[in-house]
Amino acid sequence: MTEARTRIPSLDDPEIIVDTPATIYDAIPPYPPTTEREAEFYSLKDGEMLINLGPQHPSTHGVLRVVMKIDGEKVVDLDPVLGYLHRGVEKICENGDWHHAISNCDPLEYIASMFSEAMPVMVAEKLLDLEVPRRAEYIRVLAWELNRISSHALFIGWLALDLGAVTPILYGFIERDEIVEMLAALTGQKLLFNYLRIGGVNGDLNHEFLSRLGTWMSHAAQRIEDQQTLINENEIFIRRTRGLGVIDREMALKMCLSGPPLRATGIPYDVRRAHPYSVYPELEFDIPTRTEGDSWARYWLHLEEIKQSLRIIDQVLHRMPDGPVMTKLPRLLRVPPGRAWVAFESPRGQYGAYGISDGTDQPFRLRIHDPSYFNLQTVGLMMPGHLIADTMAIMSSLDPIMGGIDK
Amino acid sequence: MEVGKPGALAAATGALVPADDASVSTPIVIPNTGWSAADPTAYNGGRAATVAHLHELETIGKGDDARWGALDVIPAKADLLLDYLRANSLWPLLSGLACCAMEMMSAATSVNDMDRFNMFPFRASPRQADVLIVAGTLSTKMAGPLIRLWEQMPEPKWCVAMGDCTCSGGRYKRSYATVQGIDRVMPVDVYIPGCPPRPEGLIYGMLKLQQLVVERRGRWAERRVGPTVPDGL
Repeated sequence: MTEARTRIPSLDDPEIIVDTPATIYDAIPPYPPTTEREAEFYSLKDGEMLINLGPQHPSTHGVLRVVMKIDGEKVVDLDPVLGYLHRGVEKICENGDWHHAISNCDPLEYIASMFSEAMPVMVAEKLLDLEVPRRAEYIRVLAWELNRISSHALFIGWLALDLGAVTPILYGFIERDEIVEMLAALTGQKLLFNYLRIGGVNGDLNHEFLSRLGTWMSHAAQRIEDQQTLINENEIFIRRTRGLGVIDREMALKMCLSGPPLRATGIPYDVRRAHPYSVYPELEFDIPTRTEGDSWARYWLHLEEIKQSLRIIDQVLHRMPDGPVMTKLPRLLRVPPGRAWVAFESPRGQYGAYGISDGTDQPFRLRIHDPSYFNLQTVGLMMPGHLIADTMAIMSSLDPIMGGIDK
Repeated sequence: MEVGKPGALAAATGALVPADDASVSTPIVIPNTGWSAADPTAYNGGRAATVAHLHELETIGKGDDARWGALDVIPAKADLLLDYLRANSLWPLLSGLACCAMEMMSAATSVNDMDRFNMFPFRASPRQADVLIVAGTLSTKMAGPLIRLWEQMPEPKWCVAMGDCTCSGGRYKRSYATVQGIDRVMPVDVYIPGCPPRPEGLIYGMLKLQQLVVERRGRWAERRVGPTVPDGL
């Protein structure tokens, strides 16, 4: 509100005079446009119109808002508007000590929060040059892979839900609930686990967790088969995912894509293998890739990754060493000054954190690199030319989580 | 069997027939035990809850057309029935903001099936919804659209604050970007604490909301909106 607005004709109906372009209650960018890109996006040719999707929309996976420029049923251009879930996590982390940062980072990736809470933990461990007990590392890998499966199971359900099928999401939630309840038995908290600690984990494996895990492992593989038979050969599903949202290898690397969307273009980049951390070098698993780069390839990769995660869990349970789960650390943890970058593979891709410590017990800065953000920005390349109905299918095949995108 | 005498056929077959004119001289008045309003002036300053259900019929019909025999009809006040209908088909709005939305969806799917308790599947449009479950952190940027959603919902409507973030700010209370409790911007009927609350917690809160709907305590227009902390603290 710096200067008085001039009244202009509405974009919908030129006879209506409005303050800002109509159909968008809070025009972003503010009218008149300030950059070339804004001017290009908000100038409409004959037959084009703007349509607003979100922030309240059942298929945007949270509070994403997308302003689409459409010509008939075709998407011409789109402008994602972020920040509806901005909670200022990075700033809050600077105000608490390193232990607080764990619980503050938890809700970033709220479908797989075992990963986002690993971020401050691994940064602090790197700065402290700490050796984590091997049993703790194995427990971490176990928890991570379980959480990866629950996240992928939900992904499959959501992709189908956005294509109009309701049944797979129910199957996905059965799987997810079972795993989350199992992890709740381990961690004491559902969904936002707050389980990892600097120098180990909070509490050893318990009987409740292991008995639930055993029950689940006995039918996990069968469940994956069920999911496959439900969707894999469905004509509608294939036609609405195959060849849609294609991104090629060069562009994927340029746009900093990671995780299944990157591997769907044929690049076998997985942080667990490329820059090994924890005990992943000791474990056997494959990195499935596809070369199509479309929505269907991403779906297929998620299924394959569930199988690989099951394989890892099996190995971890067989090799679980004895010993402590926590290192001895002073109660007031002063992390030595320095800078550290850590990266690890979350279900959505490469999760990274760049931490700076100034020698006090609080992080000086914790920069969060979230894969969802970088995956989501490719929708601008994928979407133009597709129908409105396919936008959700393409967007959900990238599996964005707004908590991580907006931080 | 004596033919022509009212009631004889009924006695023989057990069927319900209207009583004859002589047997009923005054309307049967059913005392109101079904509900009582917490606030007697609720719903636009209506009559007190002690008024009998058939008050209108007594005055309007002058008794002539209100001859209640052994009818298979239970006369009741329309509002009472409407309240039960509303309470038992609460249609929540599908609007997840953050983490709590996961537990909200989990409450709706097969493991904890909210549908069992007459909380219908989630509606995607605010124009079809009765209950706004605010699930997750409300940021200042989202506050405007959320109020817009709330205003688009038709009356009567209720609001459930799910999670610590919406109740009080929770773990993001100190953030520069969040609303510290949604009751600063909109009325709330049920608060469900927890970070996140379990799906059972949400269902329990919704059951409490049903109770509240029947007891007519969900009148939001008179409720004060804004921080509940007194001035000067």
